[in-house]
Amino acid sequence: MAPTRHPAKPLNMTLAEADMRHGTGQEEPAAGGFLSLQGLGKRYQGFTAVHHLYLDVPRGELVALLGPSGCGKTTTLRMIAGLTPVSGGRVLVGGRDMTSEPPYRRDMGLVFQSYALFPHMTVERNVAFGLEMRRIGRAEVAERVKEAVAMVRLQGLEKRRPRELSGGQQQRVALARALVIQPSILLFDEPLSNLDAKLRDEMRTEIRDIQQRLGITAVFVTHDQAEALAMCDKVAVMNAGRLEQLGTPTELYERPANPFVASFVGRINRLPAMAMGTKAKVGERELRLTQPMEGNIEVMVRPHRIQLEPAGSAATESTNRVQGEIRRTTYVGDLIQYVVHVDGLNWSVEQPTSASATLSPIGAKVDLSWRVEDTLAFKSAG
Amino acid sequence: MEERKPSWLLKVTVTVLFVFLLVPVLVIVPLSFSGENTLRFPPDSWSFRWYGELWSNDRMWGAFRTSLVIGAVVTVLTILIALPAAYVIVRLKVRGSELLYNLFTAPLLLPTIVIGLAILIIFASVGLLGTRLGIALGHLVLTLPYALRILATALNALAVTVEEAAASLGAKPLTVFRRITLPLIAPGLVSAGALSFLVSFDEVVVTLFLAGPEATTLPVEMFRHLESRSDPLIAAISVLLISLTLAVVLIVHRSIGFSTSFTR
Repeated sequence: MAPTRHPAKPLNMTLAEADMRHGTGQEEPAAGGFLSLQGLGKRYQGFTAVHHLYLDVPRGELVALLGPSGCGKTTTLRMIAGLTPVSGGRVLVGGRDMTSEPPYRRDMGLVFQSYALFPHMTVERNVAFGLEMRRIGRAEVAERVKEAVAMVRLQGLEKRRPRELSGGQQQRVALARALVIQPSILLFDEPLSNLDAKLRDEMRTEIRDIQQRLGITAVFVTHDQAEALAMCDKVAVMNAGRLEQLGTPTELYERPANPFVASFVGRINRLPAMAMGTKAKVGERELRLTQPMEGNIEVMVRPHRIQLEPAGSAATESTNRVQGEIRRTTYVGDLIQYVVHVDGLNWSVEQPTSASATLSPIGAKVDLSWRVEDTLAFKSAG
Repeated sequence: MEERKPSWLLKVTVTVLFVFLLVPVLVIVPLSFSGENTLRFPPDSWSFRWYGELWSNDRMWGAFRTSLVIGAVVTVLTILIALPAAYVIVRLKVRGSELLYNLFTAPLLLPTIVIGLAILIIFASVGLLGTRLGIALGHLVLTLPYALRILATALNALAVTVEEAAASLGAKPLTVFRRITLPLIAPGLVSAGALSFLVSFDEVVVTLFLAGPEATTLPVEMFRHLESRSDPLIAAISVLLISLTLAVVLIVHRSIGFSTSFTR
């Protein structure tokens, strides 16, 4: 039996469900998540790493902090763990204010990018360390270490030293070491960045499986948007120390809150336009918008939501279209990538190979069409 | 890695260097078995008489014991001071820790004779001249920079995240230090200790200023002996000193490996 504190829960728990659990929960406050960051901030001399961050993580959810390097995501994680003192705001866990607690009293499990195993101890001693600190009896320590080692599938390697293990195995030990103490919260700081691509995919699934099986609340820092989308219940996109958007992977991808999120999460094409109500003018053409806007805007469309059609095809009510000229085609098996010149800008368009049996030739004039609801529009900056 | 065969030129150069560095020292060994009254190589007759002389020379044995005691005390004091200092400088990064580090290691750059003179002037006014305590304190000035450097390097090489991981698992700062930091910098500690002992044990320049009739160390006693006489007694003592130094190095090597101890 794996060590469990929280009851196992089904996949894809929604916000509403999580809130219902809060209603019946014992120690949680009425509002906010199990982990609640309230106006968390970090200032260094002449530089603010994190601005007034508000973030709620419901019990049992895995939330990613996603952003480019230097966006403050790791600083945020370190403030949650108590490794970096906060300049302002509070960290609450289950309604309890943890802001001024030292790391050793926070009861959080940490998994680092560098694994941070104790090199002078065997796998077994590494995993047992947290339990020894809790003054747990020898028999129970042995039992729980055995369970944790089995959970990360490292049986038979208990007596090895960290340097005798591969990178993936070392990260498994780090995971077991953090899990065995049954922490209230599990914190990951880019845990997969040092692994090669294949191992990374494997560990992704494994971490997600274990996290869901144990129903553990977790925060996962990453700069890899694919990782964040694939693993996490919700993703908090950060930029320059601010939270840009918090949402499910679908929300972030389909309804990004601003141009930064739109271009950081997935790839996107941009086109400047002039908006008048629900219409936007691009040169001679008119595009339909999903909601009324005014003035200079930027229209954005995902590459794989665009259809290529022969030039001059008639527009319909439910689609937008622009004209372009094919500049480059790349055949990559499951899809064809086109670079299409549109109004002086290079757009990228992706077509599944089944839909377009023939490769459109370079130099061909084409119409790019997409559904109105796939049209994202943002006010131009400045 | 592929090993390359050394060229004949490299072999010759290395051989010449070895001869240059080691032969003078190796000459000492046969000299100590000389049967003559003066230091001349090669000796005309062989004997163990100078080892016998050494055995019955109370002054030398007294100085040897003093050197051992001072060396031990200096080693312990050095570690007790350098370890917390290195920790504060490397880990806590307090304001001015860079300055502290430079101040601590500055004696490495100063001519030893200047240090000796400076200490002489200060100690003369506080009555520490000619005492074992005075010599030990003088040696401390020389050993601290080495120890601090070695320990700071060892601490720098230890990732902070390892200590943070221990803290997140519930270990209080002292427990982290005892169970994680200390074992991981043990090689640094051993080499800092060994080096401190050796520096103190064979120190001459500063000790010459501080030693007196009541307290004198073996190297100073040897120096004084050479001033008046040049018999092979010195060679016999030297063989003893070389053996002791080798023993210390061997112990260090056995416990942690030479390359990780002195080259880090």
